Amino acid sequence: MDWECCWTKNQITPEECPYIAEGEEDLYGSLQRRIVDKCMECPRFKNDLQRMKDLAYPLSEVLPHIISEYREQKARMASMASFVNRKTREIKFLHELNVVLQTSLDLDEVLSVAMTAITAGKGFGMNRAFLLMADKERQYLKGYLGVGPRNYEEAWQIWQDIDRTNNTLRAMARNFQRTKLSSEKVKFQDILEKLSVPLADEKHIFNRALRGKKPLLAENAFHNPDVDPGLARILGVDCFLVMPLISRKRRIGIIIADNCVTHKPITPQDMQSMETFAFPVAFALERASLYERLREEVTKQTAANVKLKEQQELIVKMEKMALVGKITSSIAHSIRNPLMIIGGFARSLLKSSAENDQKRSYLETIVQEAKQLEDVLAEVLNYSDSLFPAMDMWDVNQLVTAVYNELRERLMQRGIRSSLEPAADLPMVCIDYKQIAYCVRALIINAMELMTGGGEIWLKTALTGECVTVELSDDGPALSPEVREALTTPFVATQEMGTGSGLPLCRTILEKQGNELLIGDRPGGGTTYIIKLPITKGEKAHG
Amino acid sequence: MAKLLVVDDEANIRLLYSQELSDEGYEVVTAASTAEAVEQLTGNNFDLVVLDIKLKNESGIELLQQIVKERHELPVILSTAFSCYKDDFSAWLADGYVVKSSDLQELKTEIKRVLDKKSRIKAG
Repeated sequence: MDWECCWTKNQITPEECPYIAEGEEDLYGSLQRRIVDKCMECPRFKNDLQRMKDLAYPLSEVLPHIISEYREQKARMASMASFVNRKTREIKFLHELNVVLQTSLDLDEVLSVAMTAITAGKGFGMNRAFLLMADKERQYLKGYLGVGPRNYEEAWQIWQDIDRTNNTLRAMARNFQRTKLSSEKVKFQDILEKLSVPLADEKHIFNRALRGKKPLLAENAFHNPDVDPGLARILGVDCFLVMPLISRKRRIGIIIADNCVTHKPITPQDMQSMETFAFPVAFALERASLYERLREEVTKQTAANVKLKEQQELIVKMEKMALVGKITSSIAHSIRNPLMIIGGFARSLLKSSAENDQKRSYLETIVQEAKQLEDVLAEVLNYSDSLFPAMDMWDVNQLVTAVYNELRERLMQRGIRSSLEPAADLPMVCIDYKQIAYCVRALIINAMELMTGGGEIWLKTALTGECVTVELSDDGPALSPEVREALTTPFVATQEMGTGSGLPLCRTILEKQGNELLIGDRPGGGTTYIIKLPITKGEKAHG
Repeated sequence: MAKLLVVDDEANIRLLYSQELSDEGYEVVTAASTAEAVEQLTGNNFDLVVLDIKLKNESGIELLQQIVKERHELPVILSTAFSCYKDDFSAWLADGYVVKSSDLQELKTEIKRVLDKKSRIKAG
């Protein structure tokens, strides 16, 4: 029989089968494959089959059934291959996603990866996604991040950008985190703020999805009795997917995904894929959140440790200072009484000794030396007292008036005129009353001792900027720079200064409490001393 | 002549005060402890007490409180080596406060001031 089709020939020439295309040349020499791939659909073969039937060939009735069954099986296989291909792509994508999620501890990076995966074409290809997370108190689901275009123009722009680059998921996510994360948070702020839902609201679709641990598809949302119409209005779409994020029974949050631009239907296949994706995302989000909290705690702990160390050092220092102060004070007090007795009796003897007595100068020396030792002792005792100031709010005018009244008579006895001019409406300042009173007293006594020939002292208080000032001016002799320096240096004395001026301690006390002592020339002659007491010293004063 | 009671546990200080204050024209009686002071106060009419705060194992402040309570018209000047007591509220009960010094001028001035004040109050 001379058949039209080449199905009986082992080897054919190109002219014998016009359906073999370029690249399929091997079919010329392979009869079996040529019959399956080409002859089954070839019109010439169909003609040959008809001729077989006409000629009543025994197999002519069976062959169409075999061919039909073959076609059906082939189609089924093609469909399965397509399914397997799609699943392979999906698994590859999920694998890539998992690798990225598992290696990231940064919350923003995890969010970027998750949201990029949902909205990128090579991922789940949804138009838009919102992430809501459970708050720390586990009372509310709160809008955290939105990703996607707000309109078609923006969508078109994004898709064009994605087409131009063929990045991996990680690269796309990094690019998103670097360039868009902050702006996306702001872009959807209005919607995110409205998406807050109490976790106790059991009927809400978000909580139903969390309870069922399955994604829920909200269709016909504007008229669906199971969906809050307010939610549909906020999202502006009638179909969206709610995907719960649960990690180890903990409700992490939900993702809402929709196709707000293309309005492409969300298929059960989409839901199934997203469900597979939800677990690693929830786990990664929880891990990143925990890591973030852990870092916060570590930072707090580190700061607390530093503070504790500082406090311990301070305690050790204070204990040392307290011990030094206690020893100093104890020694000074033991010396004070004998010294007073020596000096006191020397004075007594001096009074009763005749003017021409040769031994009078010895007594004078004893008196002077005893006085000097007493002054040094007073300074040492005042120093040990000054180690622990007791800060409180005090009226400076009251303090200065009390000290001035205490010393006014002594000033008069020395032939020194004096006046006090307290400023009205002075604010209270945070000071150690006893120590600042000591300083004011020391200033007056110092001026008094330097004014051996009498003179005048002006004492006044004022509010100068952020400070209350106590100013003492005298018309005594001008002080050289050396004397000024010596006045505030501990245990240094010059002839002009006299002894036991107390100003070094005065400066130490003032500076330790965040105050200041200034010494300058008085216009018209004399010296001006200023104590500056800041109104708000805050912690420094208590330091 | 005003009569003063000097209370101090240090014998030499009692001697110094007696001598110096007698030179100033006062009649001076001394006591070395609170018990002695109480005894003296019972048998005499003093115009003023000069009281040391830290007596041996005793507190002058307690004696001060007793005097204020029982003989509130009798002025007391505290004399001490510890300037820090000036800020002790209990010490504020005293009429005067002097830090011990070999120069007794401050004590003398303070005695005079307190006695003058007492006289003025008495004169009404």
